[in-house]
Amino acid sequence: MPLNTDVLWYKDAIIYQVHVRTFHDSNGDGIGDFPGLEQRLDYLQELGVNAIWLMPFFPSPLRDDGYDIADYHTVNPSYGTLEDFRKLLDSAHERGIRVIIEMVLNHTSDQHPWFQEARSSHDNPRRDWYVWSDTDTRYKGTRIIFVDTEKSNWAWDPVSKSFYWHRFFSHQPDLNWDNPAVGDQMWNVMKFWLDMGVDAFRLDAVPYLVEREGTNCENLPETHNIIKDLRRKLDEQFSGRMLLAEANQWPADLRPYFGDGDEFHMAFHFPLMPRMFMGLKLEDRKPITEILQQTPEIPASCQWSLFLRNHDELTLEMVTDMERDYMYDMYATSKSMRLNLGIRRRLAPLLNNDRRRIELMNGMLMSLPGTPIIYYGDEIGMGDNILLGDRNGVRTPMQWNGGWNAGFSKAEPQRLYAPLIQDPVYGYPAVNVAAQKESEHSLLHWMQRIIAVRRSNGVFGRGSIEFLYPANHRILAYLRRLGKETVLVVNNLSGAAQAVELDLKRYKGNILIEMFGNNIFPRVGDLPYLLTLGPYQFYWFRLRRV
Amino acid sequence: MREMIVSELSQAMHEMARGFAHYVPRLIVMLILAFVGWAIAYVVKVILRSILQFIKFDKLSENAGASQLLNKAALPTATEMVSRFVFWVTWLGFILLGVSVLGILGLQEQIASFFLFLPRLFVAMFILFFGLLAASFFSRAALLAAVNANVPSPRVLSLAIRSIIIVFVLSIVFEELGLAEQTMLVAFGIAFGALMLGLAIAFGIGGRDLAQRFLEEKFVRNKKEENEDELSPL
Amino acid sequence: MEAMSYTPSGAELKLEDETFLSDDFLRQLINVGEVDILIGLPTHNNAKTIGSVVTTIRSGILRGFPRERAVIINADGGSRDGTPDLVTGVSIDDARPAANLYALRTLHSISTKYDGSAGSGAALRTILAAAELLRAKACLVMSPEAAHLQPDWISNLVHPIYRDGFDLVAPTYRRHKFDGLLTTNLLYPMLRALYGVRIREAYMPEFGFSGRLGSQFLGQNGWHDGNGQAGVELRMTLAAITGGYRICQSFLGEKEHVERRGSDLIPALRQTVGVLFSALETDFLVWSKVAGSKPVPTTGSEQELQLDPIRVNRKRLREMFSTGVSELQSVFQSILSPSTLTELQRIARLGEEEFHYSAELWVRTVYEFAASYQKSVISRDHIIQALAPLFRGRVFTFLVENRNASAIEVENNVEGLCLEFERLKPYLLQMWKSRE
Repeated sequence: MPLNTDVLWYKDAIIYQVHVRTFHDSNGDGIGDFPGLEQRLDYLQELGVNAIWLMPFFPSPLRDDGYDIADYHTVNPSYGTLEDFRKLLDSAHERGIRVIIEMVLNHTSDQHPWFQEARSSHDNPRRDWYVWSDTDTRYKGTRIIFVDTEKSNWAWDPVSKSFYWHRFFSHQPDLNWDNPAVGDQMWNVMKFWLDMGVDAFRLDAVPYLVEREGTNCENLPETHNIIKDLRRKLDEQFSGRMLLAEANQWPADLRPYFGDGDEFHMAFHFPLMPRMFMGLKLEDRKPITEILQQTPEIPASCQWSLFLRNHDELTLEMVTDMERDYMYDMYATSKSMRLNLGIRRRLAPLLNNDRRRIELMNGMLMSLPGTPIIYYGDEIGMGDNILLGDRNGVRTPMQWNGGWNAGFSKAEPQRLYAPLIQDPVYGYPAVNVAAQKESEHSLLHWMQRIIAVRRSNGVFGRGSIEFLYPANHRILAYLRRLGKETVLVVNNLSGAAQAVELDLKRYKGNILIEMFGNNIFPRVGDLPYLLTLGPYQFYWFRLRRV
Repeated sequence: MREMIVSELSQAMHEMARGFAHYVPRLIVMLILAFVGWAIAYVVKVILRSILQFIKFDKLSENAGASQLLNKAALPTATEMVSRFVFWVTWLGFILLGVSVLGILGLQEQIASFFLFLPRLFVAMFILFFGLLAASFFSRAALLAAVNANVPSPRVLSLAIRSIIIVFVLSIVFEELGLAEQTMLVAFGIAFGALMLGLAIAFGIGGRDLAQRFLEEKFVRNKKEENEDELSPL
Repeated sequence: MEAMSYTPSGAELKLEDETFLSDDFLRQLINVGEVDILIGLPTHNNAKTIGSVVTTIRSGILRGFPRERAVIINADGGSRDGTPDLVTGVSIDDARPAANLYALRTLHSISTKYDGSAGSGAALRTILAAAELLRAKACLVMSPEAAHLQPDWISNLVHPIYRDGFDLVAPTYRRHKFDGLLTTNLLYPMLRALYGVRIREAYMPEFGFSGRLGSQFLGQNGWHDGNGQAGVELRMTLAAITGGYRICQSFLGEKEHVERRGSDLIPALRQTVGVLFSALETDFLVWSKVAGSKPVPTTGSEQELQLDPIRVNRKRLREMFSTGVSELQSVFQSILSPSTLTELQRIARLGEEEFHYSAELWVRTVYEFAASYQKSVISRDHIIQALAPLFRGRVFTFLVENRNASAIEVENNVEGLCLEFERLKPYLLQMWKSRE
């Protein structure tokens, strides 16, 4: 199955987010690698995904899970060779799966040779590749992101006896994008991977590229100019490739990153995700509809990307204090589940392993406007281990079967890069791919099914959305429309059965076809359309005039 | 001659005996009827008394003002009175039935008319009783409303209402008893009474508060000032 | 004849037997779903005040209970001034997003027209039925005219139920010392003496109750006989006392002066004294066993008094008392004992200076009225009406006694009256039993 040639492929994509380290270990060293991932591509193809997003695999001291890159031109030897990566890329493309990789433009590891050179002397030509200062008082209006670990955005470099700027950890000095040489060098890096065949970049921490005194140093016009420049080069030289922005911002602040369709192709919709969890807990659609009402229109070629969980904590930066307190109290009862401004848990444990709620959340993920991203393991309902520090609790090895090391590796268990989940509910003997393949009712099979249904209809990826506001606030209902195709989605956010009356007057005469069973529902008449939904149930209907 | 006398005598005796023999069974029947009637009347009285006690008839009659009257005349309670009355009427009925068995001419007709008259008597008593009750109730309602609305001479108003209703009730009672000629005399009373009864009902129940406010607005001087000086009770 | 219209209701009414909720209202209730807090708002042409009342209620909910599922339910008696629209206008709804309103949840504010004539009974019944259908944990009833309503009144009334497990929250207010004289001179002392529970405001314009008390009361109250409708708030208090529910008081704030009208006295008597007297009959086994009284747990102060001078036409009060005593002699003869009546006639003849309707005489009067009411010596409603002139006399004395009194002195006088009611309770019991 070759790749399709549509330049808007990302609009119809189902993205699977995975770290090569976590997926499969082919050489028995306890760490997942490219050949291992390549062996498991069939599984991903079966699941129905058509893009994988690989988390950073560059050489790195791994003090920030690989986002502290020490060399942009090769891969971390623990994961294999550059040749192994090339083979993986080709195998994925053969299966119609595109590959998205990480690109960290904002900062490098302090182990990167560039930084080593820069700090070595004030006169070094690379000195100006980073942001230096004699005092730690510049850019005072800038917030600190990792409030739990960092006290300041400036760190003292004992070698060159001056302060360097870092928005994230102090071991991640920010590159100085005011220096044109930095921009040229980073484009060369991107070109290196694009030439190899990589389909897209997820650009990390984009709002923070440029610093200016008297601002909060986020979302500056200079930053946008840099992105526009990169996009122009990409379109000129590599048509059909895609840039995905990681910018944890309010939708209105994110909107500029789409430009006029001349900056990013895609961006994460960060504020939606906590509100989906909130709406579910409140049994009230208000948080979800409200944030989508506040979401601005984006250029036709652009797309939001949606996710339920990812490798980071469930971030609560984009909520009000009241909402954050509520989320903490509801989803992170134990303090140890909290990290920075967020909750470090996986999907299944967040939802108390309630299959109906897991299905409902995935149903919304697949039917709201945007491209869904599935975090590895969530398709089988994997658990987490909150005893592991930082965000490592949600980055444990993939659970393939109930056998040795869950089928992840042949190594001695203590050599694994992280311990397997072993608890009775989520442990690999209970939750694994092999078992779920055997069981027809498994979450894995259900996920395959919903992905197939979603991919069967272009309306989900490209259609417009229009909310119906039934008086029953526990029901989130919307119409997705593309051309002549109309799909009605009705979600029951409540744990109790509900009755709802939908105003479908405009569609009088249409019949409803439930998309999972292709069964016909009664014709829409003059009266409000009455539906009853079981606890956490949802319906996808195609509207058909016959 | 002697023989004739003897024979006449014996015949007379004979006839007397025969007549006596003819009457004795009837007499016995009459006596039996009287006795059975007494028993039935007694049972009816006992049952009626318990029914009346159960429905608190004394309270009703007290409301109607009948009890006070009975008290003044040193008569027993209303329940007792009604039970006794029914007892006597029942027993009398049986006795009259017995008498009619005797076949005395002329008496039959009188007895028949008595039985025909009975239902009307009951209806009349019924109307009288509830009429008195209504008169008492509405007059008291008017009295209270007038006092609470600070209307002058409440007792006169109350008495007027009471009198009108009683006149009205009596006229109906007389008519019911067949004393129609009386009706003409109170015809005026009826018409006037009906009007006033309507008013009384209106003031009494229909719109107690409204009527009260109406009265207040109509009769109370310096209404505004006084309202200002009232205190909220709750 | 009128006595027959009173029949103590024995029929237990269950919600499922009832169809007094309209289809449209039911549809709205389905949309609301299960709630934690329900705020009932009986209205009838309250457009002038209702706007600010509902807005304050809403901010009370948002401030105190942002996470709880709440609903405002308006039971309207057929307003023609747009009252229901003002209530439904405060809904928080994603279809009509309001700026500057930070709410986690949807807040439904719905309105229905209740069946029957305007009156708090039918309105409360609608609210109770809705509360039962929505399985509300804590319910409030708020006055549509509460001019001094503050957002924290909501939490003051809800917290005791929601957090502390009380079933009935009676309000206490800051009021003028001469406001609510029927409450201070009769309702509070008598309720306290008979039921042993010191609830200051048993006739409650605003109050809170638990879902279980609401359901219980909905099932037991005689909604269909005329008496079930009047003074239903007091009935609820009594139901809570006799049912052994947990009762507390919560201080709210300033209570507005209700528009003062002399003619309001009779309805007020019916709704309070009438209800209390008739309840004595059904609750005999409860109150006959009670001796003394206990305070109920109270948050905030029990009662705050304002002392600013107030002009009252005392002369008229005394006149109406004297007229009443002489004109209603025949009525009083059937209600009062000869000694009490003689004493009343004696003081009725006194001049303004010497006039004094003592606490003891007042308590005797009230108790004799209660006993006569139970015996139905005359129409019960007439008995209640006959109390009005006597109450005016008692008010006259109360006003004179407390003319220059401080808050503490007023409080002491009320306490003295309460103790008198408690002391003479055996007298009432004796009259009660003499009938048996």
